[in-house]
Amino acid sequence: MEMEYDFAFFGEMFFRTFSLWWVILPAIFLGLVVGAIPGFSAANTIIILLPMTLAMDPEIGLTFMVALYASSRMGAGIPAILVNIPGTAGAAATPLDGYPMTKNGRGQQALAMSFTASIAGGLLTTVIALFSLPWLSQIAYYLHSVEMIVIMFFGISLIATIAAKDTLKGLIAGFFGLMIGFIGTDVVYETPRGTFGFLELYDKVPLIPALVGLFAVSEAFAIIENRSIVSENGLSTMKKSSWAKTFEGVRIAGTKWWHIIWNSLIGLIIGVVPGAGAAIASFVAYQQSKTFSKTPELYGTGHVEGLIAPESANNGVTSGTLVPLLVIGIPGGATAAIMLVVLQFHGVTVGPDLFMTSPELAFGPFMAMAVTYALMIIMVLPLARYMSNITVVSTVYMAPIIIAFTLVGSFVPRAYLFDMNLALIFGVIGYVARKTGYHVAAILIGVILGPLMETYFLRALRMSEGDIMVIFSSSIGNTLWVFLIISMALPYIIEKRRNKDVTIVTND
Amino acid sequence: MKKNQIQNTEPRSIGSELIIPIIGFFFTIYYFYTIIDAPWTAQVAAFIVGALLIIFIIIFIIRSVKSINMGHGSLNFENLIKPKALVPKRLIILGLTIAFIFIVPHLGFTITTFLFLAIAMMVLNNFQNKRFIIFLSATLSLGGYLLFIVAFDTRFPAGPFEIFMKGFF
Repeated sequence: MEMEYDFAFFGEMFFRTFSLWWVILPAIFLGLVVGAIPGFSAANTIIILLPMTLAMDPEIGLTFMVALYASSRMGAGIPAILVNIPGTAGAAATPLDGYPMTKNGRGQQALAMSFTASIAGGLLTTVIALFSLPWLSQIAYYLHSVEMIVIMFFGISLIATIAAKDTLKGLIAGFFGLMIGFIGTDVVYETPRGTFGFLELYDKVPLIPALVGLFAVSEAFAIIENRSIVSENGLSTMKKSSWAKTFEGVRIAGTKWWHIIWNSLIGLIIGVVPGAGAAIASFVAYQQSKTFSKTPELYGTGHVEGLIAPESANNGVTSGTLVPLLVIGIPGGATAAIMLVVLQFHGVTVGPDLFMTSPELAFGPFMAMAVTYALMIIMVLPLARYMSNITVVSTVYMAPIIIAFTLVGSFVPRAYLFDMNLALIFGVIGYVARKTGYHVAAILIGVILGPLMETYFLRALRMSEGDIMVIFSSSIGNTLWVFLIISMALPYIIEKRRNKDVTIVTND
Repeated sequence: MKKNQIQNTEPRSIGSELIIPIIGFFFTIYYFYTIIDAPWTAQVAAFIVGALLIIFIIIFIIRSVKSINMGHGSLNFENLIKPKALVPKRLIILGLTIAFIFIVPHLGFTITTFLFLAIAMMVLNNFQNKRFIIFLSATLSLGGYLLFIVAFDTRFPAGPFEIFMKGFF
């Protein structure tokens, strides 16, 4: 059966999604709030609200999560610009030119520019992703068990090499996650493995307690180190903000339309790569913007292009991370991983077949994102002024709220007390990982990919009658192995060259 | 300038950095032990991934020993416990979290959440603003009850409060 994707189909999908405005509007509001609170990411909020999203119809739940995800990306830029504190890692490059603008008395203008770049970049890349999905989804038909094994190793390795500061630590975290993902009975022989004798683990490690622990509980224990997020200087800066030059900011950003398009496309491409994420995209965008600029010396002093580049790129990532999730079932980032958990809870299997069986679920997230960005145009400017005040919420109140609500959330799917204990154990692992430089997202993605990788291994071995060399039997697979080795070796080569340069400079 | 930056780098707390690899190593060995009698095809994935993990861990340990010998790090746990002044509070919050997990099946979501939020916030806030904290904890636990249990009928642990309120909703 061939499914027709034409303008009528997308038009119907748009109006279907638009009818869910009553879910999207509160999600936008909530996303802007949580995006503005450092350490309170969209992923954590979605985890807190898991009991609610799990109870919803999958389409409505997914729309809520996507709207919250997209708006939180924008909200993260507010404290980055006003008080030099990025709300999320994806906004880490935003203060480089955004904060100097605030210090120069152009805070409101900077906010308006950031919003314009974010909305335009996000909307553009969502539309591109939406229309190219039918073709992208065909790629998955060329990927069989062997290729999927390589892709999974690729995903873990990319997280290790790009997202983690130390590649070796990233690899240890990712492979440790894979081993945890192998816990439980195997799909063919049903032999219990690595369960420590707990019957609750026979059905694999439940993902919700794992992600509650790794992300939310560990984060709560980490943020109590800082009593208050905002400094006294930051508070006074926020009080002086006014709306006088807002529309001037929108106009200035509009004149840089080509810059917005180019950087949001960089974000989209980087977002499609599992593990790369908004932080990498925003720095890549900032760096290339500066490299090709006619006025590179102005970067870091409150330059318009230096603010627009990371903001349009990190919003381009938002739609990009959903592409591998829906096309091949591999989450492109933490929030996409949580969406996968919710879809799995509802018995939805992501992958190319989803485009045939449930097109409303396959295209829905992108359509929800497009509607979210469209609604944000009218919502975000009047709200932004008040949203920035949320950064003054003390961690004294924030940390206990995160712990209480997320732990109970881990209990909900199976109603086992064991799952709350498991969330706490993952919380301790996550805390140690955070404090010692291991990437918690790498561990989580390992836990998610572990059972999948094992299933593909079993399938490949059964087809080859137990010949392990089957993993090198496909030309696409072998090409991917080569790329995998190159991607692993490249950072070391670059680092060696950099060290060599440093030695030359210091010797001079 | 760059030389100064290199010289000013703080020594790494290698002891704490070894925790995750050591947990990973022992877990992998334990996992191998549990699959030793399983059929070959059921062992392959775990043996490949586990063997690679052990190789990475061994490389990391060798690198860590080199770092210690070169004076770039020491075998302590500073990373994990700093700032030291916060250790007692962090341990209390950990204790409260464990208590929360064991009490919630008996007292239910609303009462346990209220108690946890109130005590944890007071501890973190050095027992200041008690009235505000009690008001905030009550609002949040009741709000959570109304949103999650009443509105969305989620399977949150039920206790005396939830059972009593069932008559009204």
